[in-house]
Amino acid sequence: MNEVKRNMAYKPQFGPGTSNVAANRRKQMDPNQKLEKMRDVTDEDIVLILGHRAPGAAYPTSHPPLAEQQEPDCPIRKIVTPTEGAKAGDRVRYIQFTDSMFFAPCHPYQRSYTECYRFRGIDPGTLSGRQIVECRERDLEKYSKELIETELLDPARTGIRGATVHGHSLRLAENGMMFDMLQRSVLGEDGIVRYVKNQIGEPLDRAVAVGKPLDEKWLKAHTTIFHSLGGTAYRDDKEYVEYVQRIHTLRTKYGFLPKEA
Amino acid sequence: MAKIERTQKLFLKSLKEKFQGQDVQSETTEFYKFNGYHQSPRKEEFVKASRAVEMDRGISMYDPVRCHLGGIPLGQRQLMTYEVSGTGVFVEGDDLHFVNNSAMQQFWDDIRRTVIVNMDLAHQTLQKRLGKEVTPETINEYLHVLNHAMPGAAVVQEHMVETHPGLVDDCYVKVFTGDQELADDLEPQFVLDVEKLFPAKQAEALSAAVGKSLWQAIHIPTTVSRTCDGGTTSRWSAMQIGMSFIGAYRMCAGEAAVADLSYAAKHAGVIQMASHLPARRARGPNEPGGLGFGLFSDIIQANRKYPNDPAKASLEVVGAGTMLFDQIWLGSYMSGGVGFTQYATAAYTDNILDEYTYYGMDYIKDKYKVDWRNPSPDDKVKPTYDVVNDMATEVAINAMEQYEQFPTLMEDHFGGSQRAGVIAAACGLTCSIGTGNSNAGLNGWYLSMLLHKDGWSRLGFFGYDLQDQCGSANSLSIRGDEGAIGEVRGPNYPNYAMNVGHQGEYAAIVGGAHYGRGDAWCFDPRVAICFADPALKFDFAEPRREFAKGAIREFMPAGERSLIIPAR
Repeated sequence: MNEVKRNMAYKPQFGPGTSNVAANRRKQMDPNQKLEKMRDVTDEDIVLILGHRAPGAAYPTSHPPLAEQQEPDCPIRKIVTPTEGAKAGDRVRYIQFTDSMFFAPCHPYQRSYTECYRFRGIDPGTLSGRQIVECRERDLEKYSKELIETELLDPARTGIRGATVHGHSLRLAENGMMFDMLQRSVLGEDGIVRYVKNQIGEPLDRAVAVGKPLDEKWLKAHTTIFHSLGGTAYRDDKEYVEYVQRIHTLRTKYGFLPKEA
Repeated sequence: MAKIERTQKLFLKSLKEKFQGQDVQSETTEFYKFNGYHQSPRKEEFVKASRAVEMDRGISMYDPVRCHLGGIPLGQRQLMTYEVSGTGVFVEGDDLHFVNNSAMQQFWDDIRRTVIVNMDLAHQTLQKRLGKEVTPETINEYLHVLNHAMPGAAVVQEHMVETHPGLVDDCYVKVFTGDQELADDLEPQFVLDVEKLFPAKQAEALSAAVGKSLWQAIHIPTTVSRTCDGGTTSRWSAMQIGMSFIGAYRMCAGEAAVADLSYAAKHAGVIQMASHLPARRARGPNEPGGLGFGLFSDIIQANRKYPNDPAKASLEVVGAGTMLFDQIWLGSYMSGGVGFTQYATAAYTDNILDEYTYYGMDYIKDKYKVDWRNPSPDDKVKPTYDVVNDMATEVAINAMEQYEQFPTLMEDHFGGSQRAGVIAAACGLTCSIGTGNSNAGLNGWYLSMLLHKDGWSRLGFFGYDLQDQCGSANSLSIRGDEGAIGEVRGPNYPNYAMNVGHQGEYAAIVGGAHYGRGDAWCFDPRVAICFADPALKFDFAEPRREFAKGAIREFMPAGERSLIIPAR
């Protein structure tokens, strides 16, 4: 995340709104704000959850290192510094999250926006029940560590799921865990959530601990979803709603070249 | 935007039936204890049926334990039943896949096998070119001959192959006109009597629009259109029309005037139910991708039966439209697979969209004094940007709050695409019924999508990024390259051609604008009359009820084959 160029030609606003939900969104997106670290997960454990390569194995490549291959005379390549993964010729792999609508800290579009502001060389995809980000493998492992260790993740209400993601909108289990048909992560009697399967659902040789679920009060204070049942009601953030209405009206009047008369 | 009180929740009965013994407002429940697919009687039936098939053919088939996720079958959560909205009938989700539902099949069969053909052109040829007399008596005789010939019988030639009447019993021809005097002179069995079929105000408008013209509403055999395609319908009908004119009016089979009759029946005087698509989509006319939204809203007859409830009339279009456009057109013609059903049924099950839509009706009555129970153009609200924004915002946010406050409701619509389509549909219907303007309705839909996306930071699947985040720009304001009003848009409109969960709702939004005004039709009065026919296999005034009958296996379709296959 430190590679993001800060001297941009405009000052990003990171979205409207007067509510704490809006403020949380801005904080997550703003690369100048440090995300709170909530847990320690080792590099090896990250690799295990991702399930793309065995810990310690060499990174498979899809092309030779850039330094070893003939690069065309391309002005764009002179401007853009390749990421470490791109330099090495790593293949492109992914991490995918499912975020419970019951006050998970991050949610699909919010994830994509946040990643675009904080990471380089990524390709996020945004759906309702899952959000995927793809990039070069060694870059992915670095980004995944930040996505997993920080306040962007709650062990109970955020799932790391490559396939069969069903659960974001379901009621929670009695123990507070989000539904996962494959039960990739389980809540132990010691209150620690452990991944017993990697993100695609293959059993792990050893469980990977990701810490204790965050409490309800913390979640409601840090979530980025509006929710009228116990959280911040969308209609109460008038500035946010009016902003969306304004965007809509401008697009209706002027297409995608919005100019107010 | 100001929340209004509405104590009745139309979806509550469904939720309590689906989640029996549970608090429908609880945020927690139990999982992983339901014994997988065994909790579903229908899936148990599938397993049993599959075993019989395997024994018979020696090839493996349905095996939900081994083949689903390497040994984890469906049903780790509760497999829900669904109430078909507005019917009180609970069914299993599987029963709403069109393969498992004969009413859904017949719905599309009845549209695809229909063409409307003008008779005036042919009568002019007979009278002016051939000097023959055309009277009510000759028309009656012609219709007798045509109802013999249309199912596949010979009228002129000797030693001809013919079709078995028991296999084509759904095929017939009726006529309609705005000339009540002529209608009264024709045999009642052949007449779609506008005055008797429609409420007085609608009948008056329809008769005036059709005038003295005489039209044939033709339904070729279901089996024929199934074996061939929608393009067959006009060809099959035109051939039988031509032969029947020859037989009834004692014409020479080879004389040049016959070409005029053929041309009228195949081209000049024919109304297809759907237009021909571009070659790359490779479908003939009368296939779902060419069926415009305005015309579709005329096919659905709920506003004839419920003229004082434009919301219900529109919701019936949603149900019919999502079934045809999502489940059959996009889901199978265009995509393949079976997953689209789960998207589509969200819009016509458990009275959820119904509740959101009637909230919108209460809102426009409360705030804008729209007497929506007495449809009229007089009290429609001028569709300004502010009005659309206000109506759509309130309905969207109310719907989101319902999902939030009833976690079982959210669990019912467990996919974001389902929720996005349903919320936006309620907004679109509110705006179109409230303003009488279909493009205002579409504009309300798109604001709903943007609000939804920003409120929950999620929307639908990838396709929603395309269609729904640029839709503001092609609704309510019209530019030359995107210049179609809703009535003439259809499933193949550029931005609409790929996304499940939209097209049926768009059709309803278009219909709602007219139902809200009390119009007798949306796009074509002749189509509205044609599908008012009580002799059709499918009752187009009650599509959701018919689908429910199909789901519980009480619908009797056409397309009989038992006469020509071994007894079971």
